[in-house]
Amino acid sequence: MTTHRPLGFSIRRIALHGLLITIGIIFMLPFIWSISTSLKPMNELFAVRPHLIPNTIRWENYSDVFENIPFLRIYINSIIVTIFRTIGQVAIASVAAFAFSQLRFPGRDVIFVALLAGLMVPDQVLIVPRFIIMREFGWFDTYQGLIIPLIFSSFGVFMIRQYFLGIPRDFHEAAKLEGANPLQIYWQIYMPLARPALAAFGFLALLASWNEFFWGLTVTSSMDMRVIPVGLALFQGQYFTNNAVLMAAANLATFPLLIVFLFFQKQLVEGVALSGLK
Amino acid sequence: MSRAELPATSTIAITSGRGRSRQARLEMRWGFLMVAPMLIGFSIFFLIALGSSLILGFTEWKMVESPHWIGFQNYRDVLRDPDFRTAMVNTFAIAIPHVILRITIGLSLAIALNSKIRFRTFYRVVFFLPVVTMPVAIGTIWKWLYDPGFGPINGFLGRVGLPQPEWLTDRWWAVVAVVIVLLWSGVGYDMIIFLAGLQAIPRDYYDAAALDGASGWQQFRDITLPLLTPTTFFLTVIGIIYSLQVFDLVYVMTRIGEVNQLPTVVYFIYDEGFRNFRMGYAISVAWVLLIIILIFTLIQFRLQKRWVNY
Repeated sequence: MTTHRPLGFSIRRIALHGLLITIGIIFMLPFIWSISTSLKPMNELFAVRPHLIPNTIRWENYSDVFENIPFLRIYINSIIVTIFRTIGQVAIASVAAFAFSQLRFPGRDVIFVALLAGLMVPDQVLIVPRFIIMREFGWFDTYQGLIIPLIFSSFGVFMIRQYFLGIPRDFHEAAKLEGANPLQIYWQIYMPLARPALAAFGFLALLASWNEFFWGLTVTSSMDMRVIPVGLALFQGQYFTNNAVLMAAANLATFPLLIVFLFFQKQLVEGVALSGLK
Repeated sequence: MSRAELPATSTIAITSGRGRSRQARLEMRWGFLMVAPMLIGFSIFFLIALGSSLILGFTEWKMVESPHWIGFQNYRDVLRDPDFRTAMVNTFAIAIPHVILRITIGLSLAIALNSKIRFRTFYRVVFFLPVVTMPVAIGTIWKWLYDPGFGPINGFLGRVGLPQPEWLTDRWWAVVAVVIVLLWSGVGYDMIIFLAGLQAIPRDYYDAAALDGASGWQQFRDITLPLLTPTTFFLTVIGIIYSLQVFDLVYVMTRIGEVNQLPTVVYFIYDEGFRNFRMGYAISVAWVLLIIILIFTLIQFRLQKRWVNY
């Protein structure tokens, strides 16, 4: 549908592109500056006129991240915790969403509304009792403590249920006639059909989990049980005295998710837009 | 809707009442089984936690000895606590400009990208990228950008002859600094939601308006804005809820040693609970925050009748 546009129109286009490119560069500058800083030797950090491109590149800043603190261990902690929280949230929420949308049982709607009402309550109200429950369970400063309280997502139940409701019920009835039980129907029919919703929710769960700070800060105390955001917040100024190394650590914390996002950006952006909720 | 196509099920259901009740019982059992994991987690980490929280808010509890009941004393103290008041002022000083600017900028970007412009996917990714970053990490990065002596922001301001503020140590400059970071990492999200809203507006409306001779601005004012009000409403509600809970950013950006230059309400809760170990008091502050969030949400739902078109 290309038509020839009058000249005035294309000047407006160019102006719009100019504006968008300018804003885009401003948006990317923090990333660019942190990469640049992370590669600078100490003496260039405190230049009176800081340069964007370092005169000498010091890759060792990245290996220095792992020097004074067990950053590798912390990194692995974050990976483990994120994987389990994400899988847990998707599994528990989707199986419950199936029951809420497809099966009839007493109290179903009351329970569902209660879950939704729970979304209104900010976590800060619950954090102290959860912390105490963790101590009672003996889960303080453990993986269970980091993972299990955060695998129950009412939001996930809501989002996946909405999607399940949009799947024609014929699929369900037909499988039922074939003698499939609800668990089989859920796993073999509804889960594959709901892949877009599961991917969108899975990514949001992954993002929230990788970035989560407050719970990780309160439920752990030893250096070996910290996760990345907590380690990064607590150790700056104390162990990361060199700002270049600190930037390297911050980059190592953000890059994995940026890369995941860039690979799947089309689906993820659409998923976020469709879910209409974060 | 599918009943007509599947007479078999309905025949079974009607002809044998016993078979039907057996099936219903089986379905019920599966239903409970499948919601059980969620329900167990919800009971422990939400219901029990919420109940304990409600009770503990009325106690004085320093972790070492057991809690003792003091009635409404915590709540009376909270309302009189100057530190709480400071935290509250800081929180709103961040929240109000943040929500307003975030929606304005998010909408502007969405409108710019809603046209058939080239590279729109690329722009969309660029503006959305900061949304997927870790608040603690970007707080760390921006703290360095704001560095009064060696950061690029003041470096730039100095070069063009503008004043170079002490960004993170001066309370009001710190508010500006934090709002900028929140906008940088948040407008991309609003832009995406607005884009979805814009795409839902039928093209015909604009065509009809153009036939009637409506200018671009009139179309924006009389079609785009009114039809986007549900989206704007949604983003305002969650924007306020989100910005009343700012914590990670001020934790890394505005703390100097042990003192935070810009404590927010959630930072205050953390400080009282996990550093001063005044658990009962911290919980009562969290309840005050909950009530404030509820009041704001209710006011917005009340006001929506005046400006939101469904």
